[in-house]
Amino acid sequence: MRHSRLALAFAVASALCLAGTALAEGPAVGAKAPDFQLTTLDGKAFSLSEAVGGKTAVVVMFIATKCPYSNAYNDRMRDMAIAYGKQGIQFVGINSNKSEPADEVAAHARQHGFTFPLMKDPDNKVADLYAAGHTPEIFVVDRGGVLRYHGRIDENYENPSRVASPDLKNALDSLLAGKPVAKAETKAFGCSIKRV
Amino acid sequence: MLDQAGLTILDFRLKIAVAAFAGAATVAGQTSRLAGELDAKGFASRVAAEKGRVVLVNFWATWCAPCREEFPDLVRLQRAYAGKGLSVLGISTDFAGQLAAVEKFLEENRPPFPNYHKLGAGDDQDFINAVERSWGGELPFSVLFDRQGKKVRVLSGKQSYADLEREVTRLLS
Repeated sequence: MRHSRLALAFAVASALCLAGTALAEGPAVGAKAPDFQLTTLDGKAFSLSEAVGGKTAVVVMFIATKCPYSNAYNDRMRDMAIAYGKQGIQFVGINSNKSEPADEVAAHARQHGFTFPLMKDPDNKVADLYAAGHTPEIFVVDRGGVLRYHGRIDENYENPSRVASPDLKNALDSLLAGKPVAKAETKAFGCSIKRV
Repeated sequence: MLDQAGLTILDFRLKIAVAAFAGAATVAGQTSRLAGELDAKGFASRVAAEKGRVVLVNFWATWCAPCREEFPDLVRLQRAYAGKGLSVLGISTDFAGQLAAVEKFLEENRPPFPNYHKLGAGDDQDFINAVERSWGGELPFSVLFDRQGKKVRVLSGKQSYADLEREVTRLLS
């Protein structure tokens, strides 16, 4: 018994040690998504808990103006926000990079035709709350406030016409159909969020 | 028959195959060319080949500003600690079409450690998970292995030289 406790303690210590400077744990898929309030670039108050109330889902996207990976998805984010907006799914963009000021984020949004609300995340508090590490990184919250999907938009940043795994689209289609999200956590390379 | 693009790729692969031999023999020397391409299996084998030394694997990309900022500190770290048992390995995750930019970056920085390109084929998610389950895909990202080849530390995002030095010296001592 003593040996097994020691082994467990060693395993926990090893895991903690390995963590190094990895990000803290964010909300797990299936758990309640932490509420947050921010102000949109056009000065409106945004609250996640209020937004999910009237929608099938809210898609929270951590994005950037200068990251090539995030920029590779500008058109896809714009088009999906419009298409799914008609079906009751709200897209919002959050820029947590300290190096990208609000006026730059607004200009970038105009340039790429974003129609979804965009917010700066002062002191990267929301990025910390969600343990968002890079851009683009997506969190989908359902009408009950539960996190249902976390990860990438799809697996092919280089060529939207050759996407083999449209993971965000699949997740949203599942939510619209009232089905479980089959692939609820995905990963892709991206640019680290430049934190304060 | 190979077209021009095919010849270019073949030429590149031949060059890096040659460079891989050179890189393995001259870890302490300056390496301005890619040493080869690695998939997840190749990554594990490459780290295993350094057993007996502390290994710091850094994942970077030319388009990643914090990666470019951190890179000179990796060069400095390897110069300072190679003789004490440190092996830095760089792995570029640049897009397949940007290999010229990768080699230009290496030419400018002349790192005293080998750099590889992540093999373009397959889903990046599989590679990321094979390297480290807790890694979300953010760059830069570093993984530290002790002299026994055991993964002991992961470093997410750009690190200061002082932080890198502290992590490495702890394992070297």
